[in-house]
Amino acid sequence: MDLDRLRQDAAAVLSDGRAKMVIGFRDRDGDRVPAFITDAEQAAELVFDETCLVNLAAYLKKIELKRFRPVALVARPHVCRSLVLLAAEAQIAAEDVIILAVGDQEYHGVMDLAGAAALLNEQYAEMPHEADLAKRLEEISGLTPEERSRFWTEQFAKCTRCYACRAACPMCYCTRCIVEKNVPQWISTAAARHGNYAWNVIRAFHLAGRCTECGACEAACPQGIPLMLLNASLARDVEDEFGVKAGYDAEAEPVIGSWSADDNEDFIR
Amino acid sequence: MKLLDATKINDLAAALARAGYRVVAPIEDSGVVRLTEWTEGATIRTDVIGVNSAKDFLFPRSEVIGRWDLDGDDFSPRDVQPDAQKTVILAVRPCDAAALALLDTIFNWDYKDDFYNARRQAATIVPMACTAADEQCFCTSVGGAPDATANADAMLRSADGGATFILEPLTDKGNALLDAAGDAAREGEAAADPPAEVPQRFDVEAVTEWLSENFESDLWTTLSLGCLGCGACAYACPTCHCFDMQDEATRTESVRLKNWDSCGFGLFTLHAGGHNPRPDQTARWRNRVMHKFAYIPERFELLGCTGCGRCARLCGAGMSMSEVCRRIADESKKALAHES
Repeated sequence: MDLDRLRQDAAAVLSDGRAKMVIGFRDRDGDRVPAFITDAEQAAELVFDETCLVNLAAYLKKIELKRFRPVALVARPHVCRSLVLLAAEAQIAAEDVIILAVGDQEYHGVMDLAGAAALLNEQYAEMPHEADLAKRLEEISGLTPEERSRFWTEQFAKCTRCYACRAACPMCYCTRCIVEKNVPQWISTAAARHGNYAWNVIRAFHLAGRCTECGACEAACPQGIPLMLLNASLARDVEDEFGVKAGYDAEAEPVIGSWSADDNEDFIR
Repeated sequence: MKLLDATKINDLAAALARAGYRVVAPIEDSGVVRLTEWTEGATIRTDVIGVNSAKDFLFPRSEVIGRWDLDGDDFSPRDVQPDAQKTVILAVRPCDAAALALLDTIFNWDYKDDFYNARRQAATIVPMACTAADEQCFCTSVGGAPDATANADAMLRSADGGATFILEPLTDKGNALLDAAGDAAREGEAAADPPAEVPQRFDVEAVTEWLSENFESDLWTTLSLGCLGCGACAYACPTCHCFDMQDEATRTESVRLKNWDSCGFGLFTLHAGGHNPRPDQTARWRNRVMHKFAYIPERFELLGCTGCGRCARLCGAGMSMSEVCRRIADESKKALAHES
């Protein structure tokens, strides 16, 4: 990947004022961590590789970063989908973001949101799951409902309700999450069986049709809960039932949240 | 001295279990090492730091502290005893044991927490001295050491290049543990392997100094930009102790729970009237650092951080207490240089 070109472009968008900040990744003791760059000289420390799993679009939620718009983001294809979807859900305006698009093998260059959407539709329309996830999805869909329920109960027993999954997800942007509502307390906040199942399943449901399968939630989970099994399988269900993949069309109506007279189901008529 | 083969640590766990201890140890499962209840056949890992800390077993994630029977408008309390099983926390890191000094203090400060104290008294702490460390370890920067024995009832030390463990009792509970171990430990002599090298990462005095004068500094925003406001660091931290009380009820029963809470959450300081004195992550991060390196030292002459590094290892967003302290210490030195 042409990291030099990425660094030059990052420096350029800052120097010429197209962006007030570049959000990318830097190296810290061998780990890749988010970098927040406001000076062109700092662009030289930008790095990128396949361990850069944080979805940088999640930073658009931060109050402190709102004054740094337009913001340039180093975005891999799944992150580009998040940005397109955030625009479709009216959380960002197209002019708020500039994208330094990184692909699986190559750096694609600087583009605006429309450019990123075009890139996604042209080159990343199909994004098959990586082998390990595909295998695990296959295994779990072969289980009976009882076996699957036992599997998830076991997995969710590890959950400490740290909400790292929610924090890492750009689509979890509610200023007051359902677990934070207490009149009434819909979901138990205890890191115990009853609350953990409800929390994890409700988050997955709230993402159905909105998950761009970036994997940041699973990467963020300190307990190693296989959240992608849940989110990716719901994403595929929505794709199968409604023929829609999230994050390819900045004008798209929300899949679960919109209605049309042509919808298949007739019970609603 | 008492020794055991490193490969026979499961036999030690089994002997302790037979003697009535609940054995808690760092267990590997699907690639993650977690401090959890040992069962026959589990793989104990003594060479790495687990994702969670010993506090889970003294101050659990969610604990029932009150129960009432409900009958229309009437209610009557039921007795609730702390669930304090005799427990050995085996092969924890010394930084976890060091944290107990703060937890013991906080839970006995202005109120004696019977639930914590019952579990604490029932627990035998057996740290394993560290012969390896990684870049995120910083115990030596906060008054600790890879072979520190603070709060240990007995100490495990690696010897013969890791082939043998020395098990040294340090308190009455430690002696009782050794008795319970029986044949799982043998008499012998061995020389402990050298402890890990953990270079000093920052000057903690410089940090405390800077904190006392820079509440309004812009540096807090810069330092906290990566943080997305979850509770992962607070929950993994061996010294963090904030909790939230929640009542949950059906028509016939109500329970009061003490649940973990984190100052990183947006709603942590939200007032009922709608005001939030810590409205952004900048303010919340400032609180986190000041709590550990200013307020706790001021009140208790202890640091609120033992340098275990878990926060940095598991924060996907790149927040690291060690890095933050390094940057503050650097800032402090720059200010001093500027003044002189």
